[in-house]
Amino acid sequence: MPRRFQDDTLGVIGTETIIGSGVTVKGTLTADSDITVDGTLEGDIKTAGDVTIGINARIKAGIQAANVNVAGDVTGNIIASGTARIAESGHVKGDITAGGLAIAAGGVFIGQSRMEAEPRLSDGSGPSN
Amino acid sequence: MYYYVVNPAAGRGQIRNLQTKIRSRLDELGIRGEWAKTTGPGEATRMTKAAVASGNYSTIVAVGGDDTVNEVINAVDQPNVAVGVIPLGNTNRLATQLGIVTWPQACEALAARRLTSYSLIAAGQKYFLSTLTIGFETDLDKNVDTSETGWRARTRQFGQSFGQARHYPNLGCHIDVDGRYQLECSFFTLTIANQKFLNPLADNRLIVSISNHPGRNLGLGRFVWQTLRDRSNSRLDAPTTRFLATRVVIETEPATGITVDGKVAGRTPIAIRLTDRRIRLITEKIIADFKDAVSQP
Repeated sequence: MPRRFQDDTLGVIGTETIIGSGVTVKGTLTADSDITVDGTLEGDIKTAGDVTIGINARIKAGIQAANVNVAGDVTGNIIASGTARIAESGHVKGDITAGGLAIAAGGVFIGQSRMEAEPRLSDGSGPSN
Repeated sequence: MYYYVVNPAAGRGQIRNLQTKIRSRLDELGIRGEWAKTTGPGEATRMTKAAVASGNYSTIVAVGGDDTVNEVINAVDQPNVAVGVIPLGNTNRLATQLGIVTWPQACEALAARRLTSYSLIAAGQKYFLSTLTIGFETDLDKNVDTSETGWRARTRQFGQSFGQARHYPNLGCHIDVDGRYQLECSFFTLTIANQKFLNPLADNRLIVSISNHPGRNLGLGRFVWQTLRDRSNSRLDAPTTRFLATRVVIETEPATGITVDGKVAGRTPIAIRLTDRRIRLITEKIIADFKDAVSQP
């Protein structure tokens, strides 16, 4: 059973990492569960869970996750073992390697996409941005 | 054998009226043990150290509030010695987080002896178990006496706290997280707790929660009221930023005080880390309930 499901079932505060708007992060943000970023981040994001880039977010980072949802600005490469989604307010400048890709009307994607059933997530320094 | 470290001044001396009843109940439950009273600050630590060193006691029970509990846990350095709490203080945050609210319930919990192991958190040279706060709540603890309960007292406290909160500025901060990334932000209140207190099945990890100023009017009033009503809970309900860590170094601008379990315990900058030192606490939280909960589809 996924860890985050356990936390939701328990009805206690989950272990999702949230970076709110107005917060600036520099470095490698790693977690075992979901990550939501609505602030500014420079570096890398790595998680076995999902990553959500909020509408206020400005990201210069490589992202590795199960699923990636982008509603803000991302400059960097995205590797998703599941699906990468770009919302109508989303803007991605970089390459996307994912099992599936969905771009909403109005969403911007500048880069190359590569569809792989199970993209290999690097265990080294992560994707370069 | 049980060793009871009793703070006779805790909770405005309510132990004087209750000790016969408590000891009688402990007798009935077959866990009477030795009953030792402290005579002043630091005495609970000294007595606990001596009791643990004697090797005669399997359980040390803090009878008092958070101050008494903190003195006891700072002195227990043997992994085979468990710690229990009978909450009789003005503030009993730790006991509440363990699911223990009243003294009869505490006696039952001591007899049932359900143990959960928690890592101690080090803030500078001081060890603590549950909650550290920086920001508005620290200011509140310093300036407003929130120990009195009841409608009149809470209304008075709300008026004082609301006035303070309206003019409390966000603090600037820089946080190094596990040496992996740095975070810069401004905040109204910052809370660090052990996530295992929220979920006994979770690992021992620091959960850091940061909240912005909740506004000037309705939002602020709701925040202040919730804070006063439930001082035992960390303000983790709606943080703007939250992350897990094992070590954080916090600098604020300007430098400010920190509160550990409701007690002012230092100033920023400060390093806070999860240690290898563990305390086995007697808890009322039944882990089986959590296991049942997670097995539900």
